[in-house]
Amino acid sequence: MAGIGFEIRKILKKNTLLSVFEAYSYAGLIGSGPWLLSIIALMLIGILSLGIVLPKALIIQFLTLITYMMAASLILTGGLQLMLTRFSADLFFNKDDASVLPNLIGAQLITTIGAILVGLAVWPLLPLPVETKIIILGGFVSLCNQWLGAIFLSGMKEYRLILITMLSGYIFMVLCALMLRDWQLNGLFLAFFVGEALLFFSFLFMIIRRYPGNKLISFDFLNNKKVYYSLFLCGLFYNLGVWADKIIFWYTPSTSINIIGPLRASPIYDLPIFLAYLSIIPGMAVFLVRMETDFVEQYDRFYSAVRGGSSLNEIYLLKDNMIKTARGGLYDIFKIQGITVACLLLWGEQILNFIGIDPNYKTLLFIDVVGVGVQVIFLSILNILFYLDKRETVLFLAGLFLLINVVLTSVSIMLGPQFYGYGFALSTIITSVVGLFWLSKQFDDLEYETFMLQ
Amino acid sequence: MLKPKADILLLLEGTYPYVRGGVSSWIHQIIEGLPHYNFELVFLGGSSEHYGEIQYTLPKNVTKLHVHYLIEPTESTIKATHGLKYKTELFEFWQQLQNYFRDSSEPIPANKLRFAFETLAKKSGINESDFLYSESSWHILANYYQTFCDKSSFIDFFWSYRNLYSPLFKIAEIARNLPSVKLIHSVSTGYAGLLGSGASVLTNTPYLLTEHGIYTKERKIDLIQASWIKDSEHVLGKNLNTEMGFIRRMWISFFEQIGRTTYQQAHKVISLYEGNRQRQIKDGACPDKTMVIPNGIKTSRFEKALSQRAETIPLTVGLIGRVVPIKDIKTFIRAIKEVQSSIPTIEGWIIGPYEEDPQYYRECQLLLNSLGLENNVKFLGMQNIAEILPKLGLVALTSISEAQPLVLLEAMAAGVPVLASNVGSCREIIEGETARDKAFGKAGEVVSIASPSETAKQIVTILQNDEKWYQYQSSGLKRVKAFYDESNMFERYDTLYKDTMAWPE
Repeated sequence: MAGIGFEIRKILKKNTLLSVFEAYSYAGLIGSGPWLLSIIALMLIGILSLGIVLPKALIIQFLTLITYMMAASLILTGGLQLMLTRFSADLFFNKDDASVLPNLIGAQLITTIGAILVGLAVWPLLPLPVETKIIILGGFVSLCNQWLGAIFLSGMKEYRLILITMLSGYIFMVLCALMLRDWQLNGLFLAFFVGEALLFFSFLFMIIRRYPGNKLISFDFLNNKKVYYSLFLCGLFYNLGVWADKIIFWYTPSTSINIIGPLRASPIYDLPIFLAYLSIIPGMAVFLVRMETDFVEQYDRFYSAVRGGSSLNEIYLLKDNMIKTARGGLYDIFKIQGITVACLLLWGEQILNFIGIDPNYKTLLFIDVVGVGVQVIFLSILNILFYLDKRETVLFLAGLFLLINVVLTSVSIMLGPQFYGYGFALSTIITSVVGLFWLSKQFDDLEYETFMLQ
Repeated sequence: MLKPKADILLLLEGTYPYVRGGVSSWIHQIIEGLPHYNFELVFLGGSSEHYGEIQYTLPKNVTKLHVHYLIEPTESTIKATHGLKYKTELFEFWQQLQNYFRDSSEPIPANKLRFAFETLAKKSGINESDFLYSESSWHILANYYQTFCDKSSFIDFFWSYRNLYSPLFKIAEIARNLPSVKLIHSVSTGYAGLLGSGASVLTNTPYLLTEHGIYTKERKIDLIQASWIKDSEHVLGKNLNTEMGFIRRMWISFFEQIGRTTYQQAHKVISLYEGNRQRQIKDGACPDKTMVIPNGIKTSRFEKALSQRAETIPLTVGLIGRVVPIKDIKTFIRAIKEVQSSIPTIEGWIIGPYEEDPQYYRECQLLLNSLGLENNVKFLGMQNIAEILPKLGLVALTSISEAQPLVLLEAMAAGVPVLASNVGSCREIIEGETARDKAFGKAGEVVSIASPSETAKQIVTILQNDEKWYQYQSSGLKRVKAFYDESNMFERYDTLYKDTMAWPE
C-alpha cells in the first residue's frame, strides 16, 4: 500500500525547490492524468475525424453520445464503486485477500446487467442503425466495467499503474480511430468500444494477477450484514450532484439544442464548464500530496496509537496533528485554486481569445472556475469523512449537494444568462461550508466516538 | 402446590451448587442441618460457559435457585449521547462512587450505597448504555485516566475500566428484583457481598457475611499473577504496591472497596478461625461485629473407626490430601526418610487424588525413588477416610497453606493424633484457642512449614511414646466433640439467624 505516498515522499526527501515542484507535478499527473487522457483522446479522435467523417454534425453527435455515456456510467457505477472499495478494504484488513477477486467479478456482473438494461431502455429512442447501437452498447458496458476496475486499483493506491494503462489504452483507441474513421460513426464508436474494452480487460488482468481468488464469483459484498448501503447512496448522490446542473442545462429549451434523438447539448454551458475542469489540475495535485499522503500518514499514526496502547495524551497529540494536517491540506487546496482563479481572472480573456473561443463565455467561465475549485475542497472533506468512517455525514452532504445544485441551477436559469453557473458554484460553496462545520465537530468528538461507540 | 416463602437468601458467588469443593459442602451441610429454615439461593457466575450441571441435589428446604451471570455480553445497541449536560448530577454521583473504588481507604457510606442501588441500571438513573456510550461517561473516564494514570496504555485502561464497572449495573438490577426475605446471608465478599450489602440497604433486611477464605486476599493474589493484565511496569521493585502497574492496582482497590463496604454493611462478619478474624479486622471489619464459627463435622460418623482400632499403635503416618504443591508432599516424604533411621519399618501413606497435577506427582515419585523409600511410602489415591483412619498411627499435614482442614478434625474424631504445619487454624485445632478449649490439652503437635527434620522428630516422639499418644488421642476426642461437632455449628448458626432476624432496625 506504499503507492503514491511513498514515491512522493521519496521525491520530497531530496528537499530542493525543484524536488517540491517535481513532486507536485508528479502528483498532478497521477491525480488528473486519467480523465485528462480520456478528454484528450476523445478530442483527438474528433479532430482526426474532421473532413473525413461527414457531415461535421456527426462528430458532434459522437462527442455528445460519449458525454452522455460518461455521465450515465459514472452515475450508474458511483454507488457500487464506493461499496466495493470499502468491502475490499475490509477484506484486506481481515487478511481475506482471496475473497476480493470473486466479489469484484460479482460487482462487474451486476454492473454489466445494469448497463445493458440502461442501454435497452434508451435503445428505441436513438435514431441510429442497429449495428451502431450494438457497438455503442458494447462501448457503454466496457466503460462502466472499466470504471469499476480503475476505482478498485486506485483504492489499492495503484495510481501509477492506472496512469500507464490508461495512457496505452487511449493511444490504442486513437490509433484505432485513425484506422477506422473511414467507416464514419461506426468506426469511431468501434474505436471507442475496442479502447474501453482493452482498458477493462487490462485492469481485470492486473487485478487477477495481483489478487488471485479462491472461487469464480461471489456476491458477499451485497450481504446484508457486511454491506454499507449508505455508501451506495453516497456514490449515487455525489455523481448525480456533479452532473445535475449539466443535465438541467441540457434539457432546458432556452439553453440547449437538439443533437440526436432525445439527446441534447448546451453549447453555452458545456464549453466553459469543460474548460473550468482543466483548472483543477493543481488542486488535484495538492489533494493527492496533502490528503492521500500527509493526512493518511497522520491518520495511520493516530489509529495505531489508539490500538497500540499509547497514553491518552499521546492520542490527543496525534489527533491534533491529524487535524492540523487536514486543515493545512484544505488550506493549501484553497490557496492553489485561489491563485488559479486569480490568474484566470487576469488573463482569462486573452486565453479565450488565444484558443479562439468567444470571449462572451468569460463570466460563465470565471464562476465555473470558482465552482470546480471549491468542488476539490468538497471532495477532500468527503475524503476525510470517509477515513473517519462518517458515512451518514457524507450521505447527508452528498444529498445536500445534489439538492442545492438542482434548486439553485433551476433558479439561475430563471434569473437569466448572467446568473448561469452560479447555481453550481453556490452549491459547492454551501455544501463545503456545511461540510467544514461537520468535520470540525467530528474531530472534536473523535476520541469519544472512537473508543465509546465502536 | 404453592412453594413456601423463603426465610433466608443465600448469595453464592462461583460456588454451590455448580462447583464442588469445601465451601459448597459446607453450604449443603448448613441447608440440610437447619431444615426449619427455607433457603432461596442466588448464584452469581462470571459467564455461563464456565459452569456445567448442578452438582448437588438441592435439599427440600431450598425454595428456589436464581442464576445470574455477570459478564454475559449484553446485546445492547450503541446509543450515542453527545454533550456533557446529559444527567449531569447523576454523573457527578457516579464520579464520587468511582472515587471510592479507586481509593479504597474509606467504605462507601450507606446513603450513597443506597442511592447507587436505587438508581444504577434504571432508565432514569445511570444505566449501562449511559455508562458505555454517553459522552459524559467518556469525560469521567478520560479525566480519571488523565488525573491518576497518564503513562500506561490507554486502550488497556479503557477496557479494564469497562470490565471493572459493568457488573455494578447487573448487580444493582439483581438487587432490586430479589424476593423479600427475613435475612440475607452471603458466603463471600466480592460481587456476592456487594449484592448483599446493596439488597440489605435497599430493603432494610439484616445481612450476614460468612467468609471461608479471605476473598480480597485471594483476589489480590490472582490479580498479582494475572497475565491478562498488560502492565507497562515490570514487577521488579521491592515494594509491590508502588511498582505494580496502575491497572492491576485499580482492580485490587476495586475488590478492597467491595470487601470494606461489605464488612461495613454486614450485621455480623463470621470467619472460620481466629487468624482470619484478625485479617478481616485489618481489612476494615469492626471487631465488635466479627465472630468465629468453625466448621464442624459429624463426629458420630467416626465412632466405628474408633472402635475398630487395634491394641497396638500402627507405625503408619497418613497424609490425607490432594497431591499438589500447596500440600507440600515432598516435605512429608523427606520427613519419612528421616524417621526411617529411628523406626526402620515406618510407613507413609499419601491418601488423595494425584491426577490434578501430574508433573508434581511425578516429581514426588522421583524423590521417593531417589531416597530409596519405594517400600515405605505409598500413594493410595482416593480412599474411604473412615475405613483408612483405624490403620493409621498418626495423621500429618505438611501444607504451606490451609484454612480450617477438616481432615485433622476427622482424624481426631477417629482417635488418631495429628501433626500439622503452623498454617490456617491448625494450631487452634490442635492446641485450642480459648482457655476452656486449651484445658483439653494438645491433640498432637504443630511444626513449622517446610521443615522435614522437625516433622520427623515429632513423628518419632509421638509414635514411640505410648503415654503421650493416648493423651493426644483423648484430648483430640474431647476437643472435636466439644467444639467441632456439626451440631455445634448448626446450633450457633441457628441462634445467629434467629437473633439477626429479630435485629431491631
